Amino acid sequence: MLAYVIRRIAYLVPVLLVLTIVVFTFVELLPGNIIDTLIGTEGNDDPEVRKILEKEYGLDQPIYVRYAKWLYRAVQGDFGNSLVTRRPVALELLSGIPATVYLAIVGISLSMLIAVPLGTIAAVRRNTPVDYTAQVSSLIGISIPEFWFAILCVLFFSLYLGWLPSSGYASPFDDFWGSLKFLILPAAAVGFRQAAYTTRLTRSSMLDEMNKEYVDTARSLGLSERKVIFKYTLRNAMIPTITISGLQLANLLGGTVVLESIFAWPGIGRAIFEAILQRDYPLVQAGVLVLGVIVVIMNLLVDLTYRYLNPRVKLG
Amino acid sequence: MTDEAIKKGPERTRRSFLTATTALAGAALVGLPAMADARKRNPKRGGTVRFGTRDDSVGLDTHRNFIYFVSHPLSGITGGLLDFDGEMNVVPGIASEWDSSKDLKTWTFKLRHGAEFHNGETVDANAVKWNLERIKDPKIGHSFTRSALSDLERVTVDDKYTVRCHLKDPSAAFDSNVVYYPVNLMAPGAVDKADTAPVGCGPFKFKSWKRFDTCELVRFENFWETDKDGNTLPYLDGLIGKPKKEDRVRLTALRAGEVDLIDNVAYADAPSFIKDYGKTFDTWQVPQVGTAFVAFNLKNGPFSEKDNPDALMLRTAAAHAIDHQAIHEAIFNNQGEIAKGFYSPSSPWYSKDIASWPQYDPDKAKAMRKKAKDGDAKILIIANDSYPYMHQSGELVHAMLKDAGFNVVFEIHPTPVVQDKYNKGTFDLDSSANSYRIDPDGWFSRSILSTAPETRRRHGYKNEKVDQLILAARVERDRAKRRQMYADVDSLINKDLPLVYTHFVSLLQAGTKKVHGYKPAFTGPFQYAGGGLRTTWIDS
Repeated sequence: MLAYVIRRIAYLVPVLLVLTIVVFTFVELLPGNIIDTLIGTEGNDDPEVRKILEKEYGLDQPIYVRYAKWLYRAVQGDFGNSLVTRRPVALELLSGIPATVYLAIVGISLSMLIAVPLGTIAAVRRNTPVDYTAQVSSLIGISIPEFWFAILCVLFFSLYLGWLPSSGYASPFDDFWGSLKFLILPAAAVGFRQAAYTTRLTRSSMLDEMNKEYVDTARSLGLSERKVIFKYTLRNAMIPTITISGLQLANLLGGTVVLESIFAWPGIGRAIFEAILQRDYPLVQAGVLVLGVIVVIMNLLVDLTYRYLNPRVKLG
Repeated sequence: MTDEAIKKGPERTRRSFLTATTALAGAALVGLPAMADARKRNPKRGGTVRFGTRDDSVGLDTHRNFIYFVSHPLSGITGGLLDFDGEMNVVPGIASEWDSSKDLKTWTFKLRHGAEFHNGETVDANAVKWNLERIKDPKIGHSFTRSALSDLERVTVDDKYTVRCHLKDPSAAFDSNVVYYPVNLMAPGAVDKADTAPVGCGPFKFKSWKRFDTCELVRFENFWETDKDGNTLPYLDGLIGKPKKEDRVRLTALRAGEVDLIDNVAYADAPSFIKDYGKTFDTWQVPQVGTAFVAFNLKNGPFSEKDNPDALMLRTAAAHAIDHQAIHEAIFNNQGEIAKGFYSPSSPWYSKDIASWPQYDPDKAKAMRKKAKDGDAKILIIANDSYPYMHQSGELVHAMLKDAGFNVVFEIHPTPVVQDKYNKGTFDLDSSANSYRIDPDGWFSRSILSTAPETRRRHGYKNEKVDQLILAARVERDRAKRRQMYADVDSLINKDLPLVYTHFVSLLQAGTKKVHGYKPAFTGPFQYAGGGLRTTWIDS
């Protein structure tokens, strides 16, 4: 197991190398550069000054030279400064990561808390009103755009009822209970849609498992229905659910720009999105690195969870 | 020289002067903190305003970054040699008096004694010199800020409180370029913290900044300005900026009580907001934050005389196709006014003697387009995605030109892409805007004068008469004459059509009834001499 984990972590190196090359190239190919950002909509572009700035920002060098210099510093842990804010890139990312992680974990947890029981009950009570309700609810959840649901939540819970703030963020390390108030609506917006997908997946996985022989065997051995469902069937049915949830979590950890805009949530998604728009190359590169690491680690955790759920699964 | 050319700062009353000097004598015994206590305080002072804005500064160095005085809360820490009042007239700032030489090439500023930066450093002539030179450094100064000092050749220091600016070319407008926006002053001794904890000399001090989240400022206790009764300004304990880019999110936050003031209500929401919530909230109309226009590419393409002998006919056809009233109704929701020149009737620079652009006449547009060479050429309209009215106007103009038979496509792009298209000349029409300039020279010299880098880069307009007028106005001391010259320039613009002014960009600011004493300046800045958030207080 340890060897497997080490091997998977070692895969990070070539994956991240390819990822950074691809992203660096694509961002370079976009029209405009950081100097155009700095000029803005009101500035004046003097060709002589542009040359000075290109030298200042290293843009007078070929792309491969710039990439090599960045890589050399990056392996030493120096991601440089943001070209826009001029603060260390690490600081820019670190200021956004906690908010994103907080929202993603709570959002996915909420979705699992809703989806797993609902999907299980729907499968066990197949073709009953409970099942139909679960299916219709999940269909509605999948059909409703996330941002529209978010706006509805804001209108209802913030404006009309006045129960929750409409937007903003508070760090759980500064004020835990206060931070929950700001978290509820965005987490609900995230969780509702994810729960819809996960409910359907859990239901269909459960139905597949419940049709297998070992379930009949377990019943014929006199085990209680509760034990058959929760100890054996659900455990096996969770494998695809865990896979999807892991991927969803990785996706959320990359940040959801739309929700971050609606709720004025200072997450990493918006930071990277703005960095791409502004051609802030160091921040884009470091952000992609961080996201790449997150995705690889999430995949590893998902695989390790398989093993826990089903010891017969061989890793590697 | 303007009528306001020589000004003295606000005089303290004799009583407050005596109070202060007596307190100073006591302070000499007990130490400097007593000085702040001796300054008169308005009994209504206190409280913190939560200010929801559509935007936020991207960085903290107020020289490197564009710090917008309407929507960037960080602007609260900025102060400059000169200031402006609610009508955007130039008034004393850190400089209590200023004057120019007869040839308008040397401007002398006498600084008020005792003005400080937020870290206690004195704002003296050497500090001012350092600031101006730092801004002029192309590796540091933001291009917008730096362009305000493009005429500045060198700065000399006569004595501790007298600084002299020597210009390359004479300019009657130089004083308007050294108001705190954009030429703000920062403490030289704190330059190493410029990107993390900026130190200015404005009414508020920096406390903290989390990008996309909050910008927290606190009152600067030793700010030099007092109100007419001699009370120290600002009244507020602090200001918390809450950037919320989406219009509805910002408005919702106001309605939900999460912010006390917002800088902008979307045009679509403004009429219903005033009607439905006018009794619950206060609103302030800002007549002109900027001027929207549609600019043609005169460097190359079907609208350029270089490539098309009928370019003016084609531009005139396009102008006839533009329905300004429709833009006023559909995009700006009947807020603000249609623009025939750069300045609105609310501005002291407004002139009614401007010959109009071609009137909306779709039949004439079609006829002229058919007659002109390259009337069927493919035309690209671009717009910046930064502001909704820019790309919405572009979309509407696209539809109007299409109706007139033009073969148009429309693209919306972020700023770097738009800049790239300007550089390469790969556009034909640009739906854009420019913010209000305190002095017309700021617009005409930088964006209309044919030799200006921005003119050459963007639309490439060249008219000798226009250039003569702009250069003559720059050195004319008589304000009325200057106003007429700029009106003549706008008349020529409406005839040559390098661009078509479409609409004045207005704003509606809104706040809760808890906020008292607030009124934005007429172009939107939230802090100015004797007003805005400097004289605001809030119910606890």
